[in-house]
Amino acid sequence: MRAYGIYILRRFGQFVLVVFIGINVAFLITHATPIDPVEQAIASATQFAYSEPQAVEILRQSLRELYGVEGTLWQQYVRFWTRLAVGDFGPSLSAFPAPVSALIGRALPWTIGLLTTSTLISWVLGNFLGGLAGYYRENRILKAIGIVATGLQPIPSYIMSLLVLIMFGFVWPILPISGGFQMNINTEFSFALVRSVVEHSILPVLSLVLITIGVWFIGMRSLVSNIVTEDYVLYAELAGVNRHRILTSYIMRNAMAPQLTGLTLSLGAIFNGAIITEFVFGYPGVGTLLVRAVGTGDYSLVLGITSVSIIAVATGVFIIDLVYPLIDPRVKLT
Amino acid sequence: MRKLQTLALALGVLTLGVQAYAAEEYLAGIPRNEILIAENPQGRVANPSWFNRWVPNHGGSSTGLQQLALDTLWYIDPDAGIDGVWENALASEPPIYNDDFTEMTVKLRDGIYWSDGVEFTSDDVVYTVQAQMEHPGMTWGSAFLGSVDSIEAPDKYTVVFKLKRPNSRFHATFTVRWGACWIIPKHVFEKAEDPSTFDFNPPISLGPYVLKSFDPNGEWYIWEKRDDWQRTTLARFGEPGPKYVAYIDPGPPDKRVILQQNHQLDIIHDTSPEGAISLVKSSPTSRGWFKGFPIAHPDPTLIAVLLNNQVDMFKDRDVRWALALLIDIKAVDMASYRGAATISAIGVPPTGLYPGYYFDPLQDWLKDFEIDTGKSTYKPYDPTVGQQIADMLRPSMGDQIPSDPNAIAAAFGYGWWKPNPQVATELLERAGYTKQGDQWMKPDGTPFSITILVEGDPRPVTTRAGTMIAQQWRDFGIDAKTQAYPTDFFPRVDSGDYEATIAWGVETWGGHPDLSYFLDSWHSEFLKPPGEIQPPRNRQRWKNAELDSVIEQIRSIGFDDPKGIDLGQQYIKLGVEEMPNIPLMSYNVFTVMDETYWTGYPSAEDDPYTDPVPNWSNSRYMMVKLKPTGATAQ
Repeated sequence: MRAYGIYILRRFGQFVLVVFIGINVAFLITHATPIDPVEQAIASATQFAYSEPQAVEILRQSLRELYGVEGTLWQQYVRFWTRLAVGDFGPSLSAFPAPVSALIGRALPWTIGLLTTSTLISWVLGNFLGGLAGYYRENRILKAIGIVATGLQPIPSYIMSLLVLIMFGFVWPILPISGGFQMNINTEFSFALVRSVVEHSILPVLSLVLITIGVWFIGMRSLVSNIVTEDYVLYAELAGVNRHRILTSYIMRNAMAPQLTGLTLSLGAIFNGAIITEFVFGYPGVGTLLVRAVGTGDYSLVLGITSVSIIAVATGVFIIDLVYPLIDPRVKLT
Repeated sequence: MRKLQTLALALGVLTLGVQAYAAEEYLAGIPRNEILIAENPQGRVANPSWFNRWVPNHGGSSTGLQQLALDTLWYIDPDAGIDGVWENALASEPPIYNDDFTEMTVKLRDGIYWSDGVEFTSDDVVYTVQAQMEHPGMTWGSAFLGSVDSIEAPDKYTVVFKLKRPNSRFHATFTVRWGACWIIPKHVFEKAEDPSTFDFNPPISLGPYVLKSFDPNGEWYIWEKRDDWQRTTLARFGEPGPKYVAYIDPGPPDKRVILQQNHQLDIIHDTSPEGAISLVKSSPTSRGWFKGFPIAHPDPTLIAVLLNNQVDMFKDRDVRWALALLIDIKAVDMASYRGAATISAIGVPPTGLYPGYYFDPLQDWLKDFEIDTGKSTYKPYDPTVGQQIADMLRPSMGDQIPSDPNAIAAAFGYGWWKPNPQVATELLERAGYTKQGDQWMKPDGTPFSITILVEGDPRPVTTRAGTMIAQQWRDFGIDAKTQAYPTDFFPRVDSGDYEATIAWGVETWGGHPDLSYFLDSWHSEFLKPPGEIQPPRNRQRWKNAELDSVIEQIRSIGFDDPKGIDLGQQYIKLGVEEMPNIPLMSYNVFTVMDETYWTGYPSAEDDPYTDPVPNWSNSRYMMVKLKPTGATAQ
């Protein structure tokens, strides 16, 4: 038990180090952007309406003070960590003065819902069908599913999203193609709202599932194909153990460990958002927010989203590290 | 296996179930034929519940907020206007200046009310100015700090501005061209602790609509006609037709087309030329500003090849003119807009009322304009280029191409410069350039190379124009290439960090001939050294004493003084002689309108009463012209 405690402490130290380095790199990259949020604000204020040239300089100085982007990079760095220590990412520069945390907090549930659902569906379906395909290697339906799944997997997400959108939004227009829920719906919790949210998520989820299911399918099929040749499986078959039991208890259970690792990493990465899919379907998640933040030079927001993502992925890995020794006795606590 | 078959059967049943179930109305609680749905080109609004329009980088402005709920003193329409181009909106008459333009008096309308029942008065105007002066980070605070000495309200309907220096165009800050300084409701904002951090949610309206609901995720905003719409300035033109108006983020161009084909988006703000052409061809109810080709609405904005006049090789007029004479505008038109451009050879766009003010009167001068290379003389202007483009497109577009010369000029533009490599050669040689083999060399012996900055994916039209022009210059022996900067294009251009680019530096009122809107900032007093960001619009960084004189003369006369047109023509002639940038075409916006539920949209041919581009505040005029067709939801 003592060894496990030391192991946890060591892994936690690595976790803290990874988060610290990751956020610092993100800080440097975002602050190296040539896009100046103050100039973006001036452009939006002057591009389409009359503006006196003399006034622009006064506006520039006022906005620098207002946005808090004055000072050296070091001063900004210190300010950033001082705020972050209390969980504050500061104000968004493209939606000033809204706090970055509020913007992320609004978008994150949509992304988590979308990607958790699609990841779990594709994981369960991909592993289930992949396991069957690895075990029943001569089954024609499973072969066909394998061909389709592996054929869909390399399709870029933008193309897949557009295909799904055109199919179910235009050719056979049965599902909504934009937004998180119906326009003008009462946003208080109700069955109608839940139904609307579910309906609006079907196409984005479908397009994500179609391109990710192949990954799990291929992985599981390969794992199962190897395991079925193991001696213990052969003995079980010779001993007349029920085939269903062999598949579930002898084969898939053993093949599941690496797939669970993959699932945890995928769930950690959902905080990045599904940028393309969210953009195509107008889904109000983090991906859409990130695209806008990059385009407007809103480094506060980019940094906020990136930091949340770094922490989420690092936490996912940390959890795997903690759990793995408990579920797999082959892992040694060195 | 039986389980798999059961699974397949279940999927089939599920599919049928989805079809039967998926009958959710597009909108909850609003009949489709009572609502106009327009695109908000700002996309998803990051800060949806923020309606304080007086703070830069605020929430959405094209969400209907500035089109339907805010109002200000005057409007200038970029097209013909609903009752002429000039509208006295909250003001009852045009601005009244004293002789030396140091004082401006505004007479206000009475009987105009905010949507909460409070009357609009001069106190609101005074508060609008003073609050922003006290908070210079607010959008127009800096403009007022630099110009306004004091502001007074002698009575409920009069405001007097005393200015720090003569300014004959001070009223422009309160005059809508897309947007302007909107009037703040004093009785609401004065209760806020800090007007620059007040979210103004829900917004109180001075326009004929009031906010009904909005997406907390920023995708859509729905506005409802006020019961007391008669107590707003738009009521003078009639009752708004749509009971509701929605502004939505429809997503990428392909999706906009799909939504309109499904009759779920009445007005597309802009899409690709290919998307618009396909939509108009395939959907009988969809139409553009022009009923036929080129479909798009030409914005009062001019796209040009901007040559950075602070770069050594472009300091010589001969070089600039040589580059102009190497461009085949017809090929550029086809490459950029697929033939749907409205070309311009001069430094204003051929849109709105500018053909009458500037294009028609200057045709003879342009035809006579001559270039002397020292070896030969050449008259470069070809007045038939617009006609040639129409003829070129007619075999493929048929009846969509007009045959009337005036209609052709309105749709495709007037003339342009005839390409002439020989004259270009003579001009370059006079400038000290030499050709060695296939490559032109600069006077210092280095290769004559030009990098054209383009935006890339965010603006394919100008990117394709740049690519075609680079190709034409390369064919002549100039080492020209394009370089795309999708994310930081404007910061580079505005700081002068480029050689040549395809962009705009000319934005006009469209309906009013005064050019100070953009030209005032071209005065050399605002020119910054290379590398420093300068005030918007003189992006080519051109400095010219004669131009300064023209600008100073414009400043010294009134906004409506007929001399302004003469001075504008002087600027255009100077631009032709000096060629500081190479004008190409107006910025055409592919706005497409669906007539399934609403009719009465503006059109170039029948009733050009306003700009249909829905993020322009001027598009509010559409509300009183639109009538329901009687169609019910399909």
